Amino acid sequence: MRNNHCLKAWPELGKSAAWLFVFLLLSPLTQAGKPLIEITIEQHLFVPSEIIIPANTKVKLRVHNRDATPEEFESWELNREKVIMGNSSTTIFIGPLSPGIYPFFGEFNPKTAQGKVIVE
Amino acid sequence: MNLKNHKAFPAGIKISLLFIYLCSFFSPLSLLADGSVVSKIYHPYVQPLEKEIELRTLYEKDDNNNDQQKVKLGYGQSLSDSWFGEIYLIAHKDGGDAFAIEAYEAELKWQITEQGEYAADWGLLFELEKEEGDAWEAASTLLVEHQWGRLIGAANLSAIYEWGDKIDDELESKLALQMRYRHSPRFEPAIEFFSGQDYKGIGPLIMGREILGPARRLRWELGASFAISSDSPDLTIKTALEYEF
Repeated sequence: MRNNHCLKAWPELGKSAAWLFVFLLLSPLTQAGKPLIEITIEQHLFVPSEIIIPANTKVKLRVHNRDATPEEFESWELNREKVIMGNSSTTIFIGPLSPGIYPFFGEFNPKTAQGKVIVE
Repeated sequence: MNLKNHKAFPAGIKISLLFIYLCSFFSPLSLLADGSVVSKIYHPYVQPLEKEIELRTLYEKDDNNNDQQKVKLGYGQSLSDSWFGEIYLIAHKDGGDAFAIEAYEAELKWQITEQGEYAADWGLLFELEKEEGDAWEAASTLLVEHQWGRLIGAANLSAIYEWGDKIDDELESKLALQMRYRHSPRFEPAIEFFSGQDYKGIGPLIMGREILGPARRLRWELGASFAISSDSPDLTIKTALEYEF
């Protein structure tokens, strides 16, 4: 009996998987042309420490860690946490956001590595 | 048709429709895993350098006052910037019996897309579990997550294969959905829905995190799931503690 249930269910599962696959294929269409902002981590500081981005727009942050040690870009307000290994770079996507100030910090050096995203 | 500029169905609405569609689609199914359907809901993210120790408990009670308890102790660590591995030891207690080791489990999580890059974030989870005796379970789970402001929706869609001398060989599926409100780092309420073998349930969950120091965090969860089908355990309570370092 259970195997019959399985056989009936798999076409349904396949239909769902196909739906998700189509959605995955279409997803990249929504992300072209994002503004790019470069941030550098040097001596456990974010440079620049303040960035201004437009409201309701998805933005690509390219973060370069020039220190030899890893750092973690952390922001509960932005719902992002991302480790950047020493002497390497990573990409963080933020937004679309409402106007306001969204702080972020480096979790491995929270006293020095601090910054904010200003959404206008 | 220029899909990029097509505004009839904004991304948020499309995700909502997908969420509702999946929910309604799987509700009639009654064919899922032999283990507990109520479980952890996974998110499609991996952090390099992350290690964690995890303790999970599950308590199930039905209307005949039969209760079962399960404890999972796990250790996990990231293997790269997109892969995370974890191993578990699982103990089980039935009614007045003592706890006994029931199973061992290994899992691998793969973060496929960068968080926020696309309309939804995607990942895959691969699990292999061996129960005492000869019962095996292998599962692949699609992890999807989307953010609407302070609301976060997560869906876990699993395909499961079970085999061994103790159990019938069978293919199953399972769906878990979570909608979470980001109130504050220390308190995030959520509602969860589970559909699996002989089980459909829905219930609240609260979770939070405490920062204990640089790169050290304690995450906690407490949730309940109430059966919405007659052959399900009436009440399931789950807890979790994760120490990340």
